[in-house]
Amino acid sequence: MLKFFIKRILEVIPTLLIVTVFIFLFVHMIPGDAARLVAGEDATLEDIKLVEKELGLDRPLHEQYISYMGGLLKGDLGTSLKTRRPVSEEIGARFMPTFWLTVWSMVWAVMIGLIIGVVSATKRNKWPDYVGMFAAVSGLSLPSFWLGLVLIQIFAVQLGWFPSGGMESWKSYILPSITLGTGVAAVVARFTRSSLMDVLKNDYIRTGRAKGVNEQNIVWHHALRNALVPVVTMTGLQFGFLLGGSVVIETVFSWPGLGKLLIDSVAFRDYPVIQAEMLIFALEFIIINLVVDLLYGILNPQIRYD
Amino acid sequence: MKKAYVRFGLLLVLIFSLVACSGGEEGEKEVKKVDKTNKDVTIAVSATLTGMDPHDTNDTLSNSVQKTMIEGLVGFDEEMNVIPVLAESYESNEEATEFTFKLREGIEFHDGTPFNAEAVKVNFERVANPENGLKRQSLYGLIDTIEIISDYEVKFTLSEPFGAMLNTFAHPAGGIQSPKALEEFGKDVARHPVGTGPFKFVDWRPSEYLEVEKNGNYWKEGYPKVDKVTFKPVTENGSRVAMLQTGEADFIYPVPTEQVEALQGKDGIVVDSEPSIVVQYASLNTMKEPFNNPKVREALNLAVNKEAFIKVVLNGEADVLDSIIAPNVQYYEKQTPYGFDVEKAKELLKEAGYESGFKTTVWGGNSSTAVKAMEFLQQQLAQINVELEVLPMESGTLSDRIWSVENPADAEVGIYYGGWSPSTGDADWGIRPLIGGEAAFPPNSYNVSYYSNDKVNAGIAAALETANSDDRAAAYKIVQQEAWNDAPWIFLATTRTLAGKRDYIEGAYLLPDNSLSITEIEIKE
Repeated sequence: MLKFFIKRILEVIPTLLIVTVFIFLFVHMIPGDAARLVAGEDATLEDIKLVEKELGLDRPLHEQYISYMGGLLKGDLGTSLKTRRPVSEEIGARFMPTFWLTVWSMVWAVMIGLIIGVVSATKRNKWPDYVGMFAAVSGLSLPSFWLGLVLIQIFAVQLGWFPSGGMESWKSYILPSITLGTGVAAVVARFTRSSLMDVLKNDYIRTGRAKGVNEQNIVWHHALRNALVPVVTMTGLQFGFLLGGSVVIETVFSWPGLGKLLIDSVAFRDYPVIQAEMLIFALEFIIINLVVDLLYGILNPQIRYD
Repeated sequence: MKKAYVRFGLLLVLIFSLVACSGGEEGEKEVKKVDKTNKDVTIAVSATLTGMDPHDTNDTLSNSVQKTMIEGLVGFDEEMNVIPVLAESYESNEEATEFTFKLREGIEFHDGTPFNAEAVKVNFERVANPENGLKRQSLYGLIDTIEIISDYEVKFTLSEPFGAMLNTFAHPAGGIQSPKALEEFGKDVARHPVGTGPFKFVDWRPSEYLEVEKNGNYWKEGYPKVDKVTFKPVTENGSRVAMLQTGEADFIYPVPTEQVEALQGKDGIVVDSEPSIVVQYASLNTMKEPFNNPKVREALNLAVNKEAFIKVVLNGEADVLDSIIAPNVQYYEKQTPYGFDVEKAKELLKEAGYESGFKTTVWGGNSSTAVKAMEFLQQQLAQINVELEVLPMESGTLSDRIWSVENPADAEVGIYYGGWSPSTGDADWGIRPLIGGEAAFPPNSYNVSYYSNDKVNAGIAAALETANSDDRAAAYKIVQQEAWNDAPWIFLATTRTLAGKRDYIEGAYLLPDNSLSITEIEIKE
């Protein structure tokens, strides 16, 4: 198993290298002249040329790539065109807010999603199932910006229980994490339900029931554990997506996270920041995939890594 | 356990139905009572700040925050008139090549460095030097020499006459920073602003807040009247409004036009709506058919109901545009509006040979307001059989397809919907970049109607060659008449500045250029 992981980690290096080339080319191919956008809406051509030179955007693309890679190997992500602060600082300041919001959203979403899923699967086609799945479909269909604004209106403006935005205390996490987690909870519930229903049809479950194992024990210990494999894969992917930062939620709740930074940077053609964010997203997915692989082994010891 | 499921299910249903039912209440504006006990103010703004170095900033929002800490020789009052700030008085020669400022004495920067002629010289030499690569270089690039006459008197000599120079000095980019800080931090002054202003810099986390505190040593007796001001970027309109409702913010701007009515007059909240200097127009490419025909341009102006435009697109928070510049811009001269006359417009199109109309495209930004505006034009022009295709574009695409076009003959643009805010408040910056003849064609500047009229060009040049306001006014009068009659644009509206505040806030207001002034902000008991 250790060998497997070392191999997987070594594989990351060429993957990342290819990723950098693609990211660099892709980012520089978006239409729009960065110097013009940086120089501002009423800049004169003089200003624009000055900015272009100052930012090194007048050099040929391959030269720009070489200096970008040179910096990257030394751990230097470059300097933001917009704020002229080091990219590592820009991103560093925003990573943790996104990370913690993601973690809290995932924690409650997975808990609630699992419960709904299990209840629905065991009470199939009875009213708890209908209610659960109605809730799940609603959760999936609600546009998150709408849900966010409605939550602000009820819990911040009318009831005054939570702040309407920003990141100040634990209270600031409640509304955005509910908004962010609703969709995930819904997906987890549906996955758990269908996966658990499949597992419950298996012979070993019937055997268990035949020998008189109590139903709670069958569902929660024997069936659920096996049913979780696809749920874990999906949860891992969701986690990866959320870690990229949700533009909508971060905008609605003025959350100082990565998603908003990315959108701002794209609008501004802030190449170094876009590149660094994409690189981090790629890295996050690689790491999450590793972790998911590891979890498979724990859930189902029959899965081997050779 | 079973009962637990049931209870849980019920709870969920309850939550979802609560959420679902409350949707209709969004329009109702609930306002929390706020008891203000401290002297701290929170201001929610619409975008992330980009930097605190006025020489290297080009967004009005960052400029506004800078102005709380960094002041210029001169500045603007509530109506964009130039007023003395760090200079006590100023004069210029008739040819507009020499500008002399007498400075206020006994002022210190926040770091204790004395403010004097030397500090002024250091600042303007910094911004004007192209080698420093600062974004506002072009505003001050024509400063030739800066002469220190005495400790408190300084003379600028320009390389060529520039009648609008005083307004350029009043622009936020002319802010004077501590020479010591400039030397110590270099380009990093953008994160360590040190000026002479009413507030001192405390802390800045770009995505969260920027905090300033009272400068106890401020030169204007009795100010500032609050202890601390926190600026918070809140990009989502609904969230910004909610912060004012909950009292998390004491002052917000801009208030989205569609929320003004719901907020105005609510207990404890005041919305200030004042004329801005921002003009909204649809430019017509006068080098291309059919817009090269003056009759067509006049017909298009007649076919659009401007009052309806303001009501539908800007929720009434605007005024009909009646010159090429807004009334608060210096040397504005009111023209006779085109009015709304579909029959006459049809007649003119017929005379121009377009009896059965024509097909064309309008380009513009992709904000919801821009799209709404273009769709409105589409609907209006349909009345005279002009079929308008609406093409919203993202800023990078606009830049490629409009602003970077090298050869005017290659310009594909027909109609472009946009706006302009002349940040120096002078007619020159409101007129020259937009209709200043060939010199202003893209990519050099923003004359996207490719309009060139010898009388206009001559007037623009004449107004820059003198500092005499009567002569300048006379020149701009002709320029405005000519441009109005030639109609290189469909003239639409001048927008309003919209600030929302708690009723205990006084002395904070938006200038017509949408910049904020809080020098005199106070919390009323």
